[in-house]
Amino acid sequence: MSETQLLVGPFNRVEGDLEIRLDVADGRVSSAYVNSPLFRGFERMLLGKGPRDALTITPRICGICSISQSAAAARALADAAGVMPPPDGARVAALLHAVENVSDHLVHFNLFFMPDFARLGYQGRAWHDQVVRRFTALEGSALRQATEARAQLLHIVGMLGGKWPHTLAIQPGGVTRAPTARDKVRIGASLRAFRRYLEDTVFGAGVEEFAALSSEEAFLNWDRGDAGLFTTVARDLGLADYGCGQGRYLSFGAYPTNDGPVFASGQWDNGVLSPLDLSGMVEDHSHAWVLGEGAHPERGETLPDEDMREHAYSWCKAPRLNGQVFETGALARQVVVGHPLARDLARRGGVVGRVGGRLLELALTQIEMERLLADIHPEARFMDRVELPREGEGVGLVEAARGALGHWIRIEGGVISSYQIVAPTTWNFSPRDAGGVAGPVEAALVGAAVQKGEDTPLSVQHIVRSFDPCMVCTVH
Amino acid sequence: MSQIETFYDVMRRQGITRRSFMKYCSLTAAALGLSPSFVPKIAHAMETKPRTPVIWVHGLECTCCSESFIRSAHPLAKDVVLSMISLDYDDTLMAAAGHAAEAAFEETIEKYKGNYILAVEGNPPLNEDGMFCITGGKPFVEKLRHAAKDAKAIISWGACASYGCVQAAKPNPTQATPVHKVITDKPIIKVPGCPPIAEVMTGVITYMLTFDRLPELDRQGRPAMFYSQRIHDKCYRRPHFDAGQFVEAWDDENARKGYCLYKMGCKGPTTYNACSTVRWNEGVSFPIQSGHGCIGCSEDGFWDQGSFYDRVTDLTQFGVEKNADEVGLAAAGVVGAGVAAHAAVSALKAAQKKTQSAPSKEEA
Repeated sequence: MSETQLLVGPFNRVEGDLEIRLDVADGRVSSAYVNSPLFRGFERMLLGKGPRDALTITPRICGICSISQSAAAARALADAAGVMPPPDGARVAALLHAVENVSDHLVHFNLFFMPDFARLGYQGRAWHDQVVRRFTALEGSALRQATEARAQLLHIVGMLGGKWPHTLAIQPGGVTRAPTARDKVRIGASLRAFRRYLEDTVFGAGVEEFAALSSEEAFLNWDRGDAGLFTTVARDLGLADYGCGQGRYLSFGAYPTNDGPVFASGQWDNGVLSPLDLSGMVEDHSHAWVLGEGAHPERGETLPDEDMREHAYSWCKAPRLNGQVFETGALARQVVVGHPLARDLARRGGVVGRVGGRLLELALTQIEMERLLADIHPEARFMDRVELPREGEGVGLVEAARGALGHWIRIEGGVISSYQIVAPTTWNFSPRDAGGVAGPVEAALVGAAVQKGEDTPLSVQHIVRSFDPCMVCTVH
Repeated sequence: MSQIETFYDVMRRQGITRRSFMKYCSLTAAALGLSPSFVPKIAHAMETKPRTPVIWVHGLECTCCSESFIRSAHPLAKDVVLSMISLDYDDTLMAAAGHAAEAAFEETIEKYKGNYILAVEGNPPLNEDGMFCITGGKPFVEKLRHAAKDAKAIISWGACASYGCVQAAKPNPTQATPVHKVITDKPIIKVPGCPPIAEVMTGVITYMLTFDRLPELDRQGRPAMFYSQRIHDKCYRRPHFDAGQFVEAWDDENARKGYCLYKMGCKGPTTYNACSTVRWNEGVSFPIQSGHGCIGCSEDGFWDQGSFYDRVTDLTQFGVEKNADEVGLAAAGVVGAGVAAHAAVSALKAAQKKTQSAPSKEEA
């Protein structure tokens, strides 16, 4: 029996900073401790500011999911004012948000996740040469194609939102830009170009054909496009058993429209789906450098523990729902929606499940974006006037690419008196709670193989990146 | 390493044709405001000069600068990022991780001692000995000082590195501090904006490669070629400002007509940046074009100037030059008293020199 400790990090090719402490016994990870080493204090800066300033400040938590933050802030303000944007305004906001989420999935697959398989450690595998050509960090041909396809897709955000990152167009009352018929045509062209990229490069087949996959087995046997290259690697390395999940998934519901969200909200506990109910949600502070008792985000506070007390090990709080750990993200969303492939992938819910969930969602979202665009009427209203209350509370729940994102705001005397943000990676990369129960990624790492001499084990990298962490959002 | 390859070598290796290379040179010349006679000069420099090594580090930030950068318009400009200038070390995009990454960092510093450009995204938090941002077991501020010591020059990307940006907003919980307050003995170019425009970023780098010197900087240390004009000066909605035609509420008819957003809090009249000319996301649009006012994200302190939706009366920054004031005043005088108050406000410099109270009272 050999026992060692490894400190893994900085990770790179993740958004923000991340450090993980691993206990290793007999060539396997026996326990993992995730530290988010970056704290900026956004929730504290918002106090005393005008409520609308949240629309500008919160997106700057993160340069890759800024629209998600701005959508959540806008929903929280709209909720406080008791309004809904007009239907066409909601659809434009949904389209903006969908474009960003799709872009994030694309970047994750091409720039963050796949390059690990081009490492020397895999030399000699049948697929290695091809992966090196396609996915070597900074140089692979797939990386270039993906960056270019994404830049083109983001023209849509340019047109509707003025600029990306840090788009300003989404407001509580709708969106600032009323698209013209001409914009609609141009957006349609961008969407068609993106469909062509997905079909030629990512799936090697029609988007609908990929979206119709209904089992893990069928997915793992998909042999076309870059998705096929991934499944080849996954079959060879047995990635489906890497980093398995715990079967509990959470979705706040993606892209709210006046007919309900495009992807439904809900919570899934090992085969049982129930409606989303956050009344039992608590952010636990026991292992975080945060002072005070854990609380529901409506009543929560963020007071950093500047002494960084001994038994805590992260700036990240530990959100729990009814005392339990939940995983969130593309796989979680599609499990809640009820897609057969997602439900089947969730049985193991490991690296293949998470990456497969994202690829599935690329296909599904393409179809939804086309539908949203078709339903936008240039002559309709896109913005209503909104009077914000001087006293009030609101909550904005959205789905970022990485999963469930919530903003909880309290307004007193016309200024923000409390603002709490719980990001997707806060759920997934949470530290232990008061009961000592590990967060989703900490649990998923247990059992990961550590080869002799590895100081940054490859298996750990695949598992961690399969969650697509966004560390700047985690603690904010 | 004795022989570092040239940019042109790197580009040819990437399969870029001579023709697109020349096209890139002319686009760059245009972006930098240089005459066509400079095109061969740029080409020559690229063909003969060894590529400049770049170390790109991230402190307290959100990676929006990198995100902007990898989206620049011309495919070649993207190659500036992905290969051409060679990001010898980049936290977000590189292959290595963990100790290997730390080793690569040290190796790059050693190899290009005195010759590399240090690109900084984000800033160091100084509170509590820098513990709010720890990378590789050390506070980021130490990594920054270490990398800066042997750098030829430093580029402060974005509002974070240049000025502090939102994480420095009151009460600045982590004491986030801009780079120039920590590193005082190196030439620093500030490229502010949240994020800066991609073409501005590649333009600055190309200029430095081509002419082997820093671009001309203004008093605040920003490259003059991109930051010498206000957004207002070249705004396509400017005629509506001059004609006194304003959006009064988000949902009014004037919003749909594309009138001036000044009354909705647009900071275009006090913001120096190239948004209204270069535009965003490959020249597609910019915030004002999407119907939302400018928030002045390339100006120092934009995050603590009161509400983003207040008119510029509250801004206590340097003012606007005389010509524009006169135009604004004249236009406002014609359309009536309400707007006159507001034009008086637009004459920021004058208004600020006198008392703030008069215009802001009318404003309320």
